[in-house]
Amino acid sequence: MAASLPEPPDRRLIGAAHAVDPARPLPGAGGGLPAFVVLDPHGSPSGLMAVQVARAMPPRALALKAASGMTDGVLGPVGHGPGPVSGPAGTEAYYVFCPAPPGASVAAVPRAWSEAELLGCLLRPAVQTLARLADRGVTHRAIRPNNVFQPAPGQPVILGQAWAAPPAALQPALFEPPYSAMCLPCGRGEGAVADDIYALGALMVVLALGRTPLEDHDPTEIVRRKLEHGSFAAVTGDSRLPPTIADLARGMLAEDPEHRPTPALLLDGVAARARRVVARPPKRGQTAVRIGPWAAWDARGLAHALAAHQQPGLAALRNGVVDTWLRRSLGDATLAARLEAIVNAPPSDEGEARADAVLVMRAVAALDPLAPLCWRGIAVWPDGVGPALAAAQRADAPADEAGALIDLVASEAAGTWAAARAERVDGSLIRVAARQRRALLGARGPTGGPRRLAYALNPLLACDSPLLGGRVVARPADLLAALDARAARGEPEPPPPVDEDIAAFVAARAERPGEAETARLAVGDGAKAALARIELLATIQDRGCGAVPALARWLVASPEPLVAGWRNVATRARLAGRLGALAEAGQLLPLLSLLQDPAGRAADLHGAREAGGQLARIDAELARIEGGAGARAATARGLGQEAAAGIALGAVALAVALALFR
Amino acid sequence: MSARRVGAGNGSLLWAQGLACGGIVAFAPALGLLMAALFWPIGLALVFDKAPGRPMARAAALCAAAASVGPIRSAWTGGLGLDATLAVATDLRVLAVTWCAAAGGWGLTILAPIVARAVLDATSASRAARLRAERARLLAAWRWEEAGSDPG
Repeated sequence: MAASLPEPPDRRLIGAAHAVDPARPLPGAGGGLPAFVVLDPHGSPSGLMAVQVARAMPPRALALKAASGMTDGVLGPVGHGPGPVSGPAGTEAYYVFCPAPPGASVAAVPRAWSEAELLGCLLRPAVQTLARLADRGVTHRAIRPNNVFQPAPGQPVILGQAWAAPPAALQPALFEPPYSAMCLPCGRGEGAVADDIYALGALMVVLALGRTPLEDHDPTEIVRRKLEHGSFAAVTGDSRLPPTIADLARGMLAEDPEHRPTPALLLDGVAARARRVVARPPKRGQTAVRIGPWAAWDARGLAHALAAHQQPGLAALRNGVVDTWLRRSLGDATLAARLEAIVNAPPSDEGEARADAVLVMRAVAALDPLAPLCWRGIAVWPDGVGPALAAAQRADAPADEAGALIDLVASEAAGTWAAARAERVDGSLIRVAARQRRALLGARGPTGGPRRLAYALNPLLACDSPLLGGRVVARPADLLAALDARAARGEPEPPPPVDEDIAAFVAARAERPGEAETARLAVGDGAKAALARIELLATIQDRGCGAVPALARWLVASPEPLVAGWRNVATRARLAGRLGALAEAGQLLPLLSLLQDPAGRAADLHGAREAGGQLARIDAELARIEGGAGARAATARGLGQEAAAGIALGAVALAVALALFR
Repeated sequence: MSARRVGAGNGSLLWAQGLACGGIVAFAPALGLLMAALFWPIGLALVFDKAPGRPMARAAALCAAAASVGPIRSAWTGGLGLDATLAVATDLRVLAVTWCAAAGGWGLTILAPIVARAVLDATSASRAARLRAERARLLAAWRWEEAGSDPG
C-alpha cells in the first residue's frame, strides 16, 4: 500500500501578495514567536517572514498602522492577516508580515561586544530607529537579545518585529523597568520611548558583559532586586563595564523615565555620557517592614509588596505597622500623613472587597508614583487592560486574573488611580476611557460583558467562536468566509450561525449605528433572532464581501422562524420557496429585502386584522348560538301555542263554513 | 294602577260571560244544556291551564267549538226544543267527537312547541356548523398561534 503523499502547502494569498508556507519555519526570526517563509504570488520566497500571532495575544493594531512600511533599522510591518498553519486542513493562525531578519539575533552567538561595537553597531543605529519610531508616535517595546539582529559582525543592528504581540508581552523582566516588569505580561501598555531606552540600556549591558545577568532568577526576584538596589546595580551586579558604557547604561537604566536620556541626546555620545541627572536616591529605612514574604526597605519596595500581597498589606496599613515604619524607620512624616489620609478616608459604598482594593491601589500610588495600577494582586497599565483581558481569557490563565481585571474595569479603578497620580498622567482621558469600558462591561446581553470588552479593546483580537472551526477571524469581513466554509461542511443539524462570541465580536467592530443592537438580537432562537442574523451578516457582506451560498443556505435551512413574522400561510409558503432560490446566489441582502418587505408586511398585517375581525364576529355569533337554547325554547313555545291556536281557529272557520253552505 | 286596570278588564269579561250564559239559560235553556254537556271539559281546562293566556284551554275550546258546530246546528234546526236538544246532548257519538276535539286541541298545544323547537334547533346547528367551518378556514389561513399576539 502506497504511503499517502503530503498535501501541498496552502498557497492562499493574503493581502493579494503574500502566501505563508507553514512548512518552512524560520527559527529565531520572530523574536520568540514562530516565524515562517512568505512566498510571493509565483511561489518563490519573497524575503518576508510571517510571524505567527499567539491565539490570546492580539497584535498591536496601532503600531502596525503607525510603523507600516518602515524598513530602516527595524523589521517594519508590511501587512497582516489570517493564513494556514501546518496542521489539520482549514486551521488558521493570524500572521504579521515583515522583512525576514538579515542575520542571526545577537543572542544566537553570545559574546562580549567591544565598546566601539556597542556604540557604533548597537546604540547609534538602535537609537536612530527609536527616534524614527517616536516620530511616528509608536514605541518598540521588544528590544531584547533574541529580537535584535545583526547582518554580520561590525554592521549596525536591526530591531526585530514588535507588532505581533502586545507591547512588551515577551520582554524578560531584566529588560523592563520595575513598573513594567511587575505587570501582567500583556498588560504593560504601549509605554514610552524611555522604556525602549531602558531595554536598550539593559541589552547594552548584556552585550558588554557577553552574558545575561540574573538569568537564573525568576521575574519577581529580578524586580525585587531592581527595586532594592536600583536597576543599574541589579543588572550589572558586580561586573565591571567600560566607563563610557557604564555611564551611558546608568542613565539609560534610570528608575524614573523622565531621568533617562532621550534618543536625540543619546545620538550625541559625549552629551549623553556627560549628562548627570541629579536624582535623589530613595530613602532607605533603618529597618525593613515585612509584608507577607517581602521585606521592604524603602517606599517603592513597600509599594510593590503591598501590590503583590494585598491581604497582609491591608492588615499592615490598617493596624499602623506601615505608618509607624514610615515615621520612625524611614523618617518620612509627609508620606506617612498622606498614607494616613488614604487609610482613614471613608470607604466607598461598593462593597468591602472593592474598598480594600481601592485602598491598596491608592496606597501604592502614593508610595511609588512610578507604579502601575495595582488591583487585587495584579498590576497593569490602563492601556494594557485590553490585551491583558484577552490573555486572561485563555484556557491556561489563572482563574483570578480575569476576575481581577473585570473588577478593575467595573469599578473604574483606572479613574481613581489617575486621580491619585495626577502629576504623571492625563487623568481626564483615563477617566473617560474607564467610564466607557465600564459601560461596555455592563451592557446587557451577549454584546456586553468581558467578551465584548476584550474585542472592543483589542482591534485585532480574533473571534473566539467555536463556530469558526479553526479559522481566524480578526475582521468582520473575514467572518462570512469562515462561516461559509463551516457551512460547506454540510452538518446535518448545524447550530445558528451567530453565537454570543460572534455577536460580541461584531458589536465591538460595528461601523454603523444599530449594528451592535442587531448583533445582540441575533443570538438565540426564534423569529426575531433568525431575521436579525440575516440582517447582521447582510450588513457585513454589504461592505464588500463575496457571495456566500453555503452560509445563505445555512441561514435559510429552517425557513419557519424567518417567515413566522408573516401571518398569511400562503405568503409564508411562497416566501419559503423564494428564500431557497435566492440563497443559491449567496447574496444576503436580497434575502433580507424579501423578508423585510415593508409593503408586503403592511398588506399582510391588514389582511390579518381583517381576518381577526371576522373571527371575532364568528366567535360572537357562535357564542350566541351556544348560549341561546333558553331563548329558542321560549320562542318555540310561543310559536307552537300560536300555531295551535291558529290551527284550531281554522278548524272553527272550516266547520262554520261547512255548516252554513251544506 | 296597571294591575287594577287588568283586574277591571277581567271583571268585565267575566261579567260579559255571565251575561251571555244567563241570556242563553233565560232565552234558550235547551241550548244552554247542550253547550254545558259539550263544553264542560273546557271548563276543566280553564281551571288546570295556568299559563298566561291559557293557550291550551284556548286551543281546546276552539277545537271543541269546531266540533260542536254540527250538533248545535242540528239543535237549532230542531227549533231548540228540549227533546231534540236532549237527543243531541245525549248522543254519545256527538259528545265523544266534541270531547276528542277538545283533547286534540290540548294535545296540539303541547306538540306544536316541540316541533317548533326542533325546527329552530336544526336551523341554529346548521348556522353554527357553517360558522365553525369558516373559522377553521381563517385560522388555517392566518396561523394566529405562531404569529404571536392578535394583530388587531
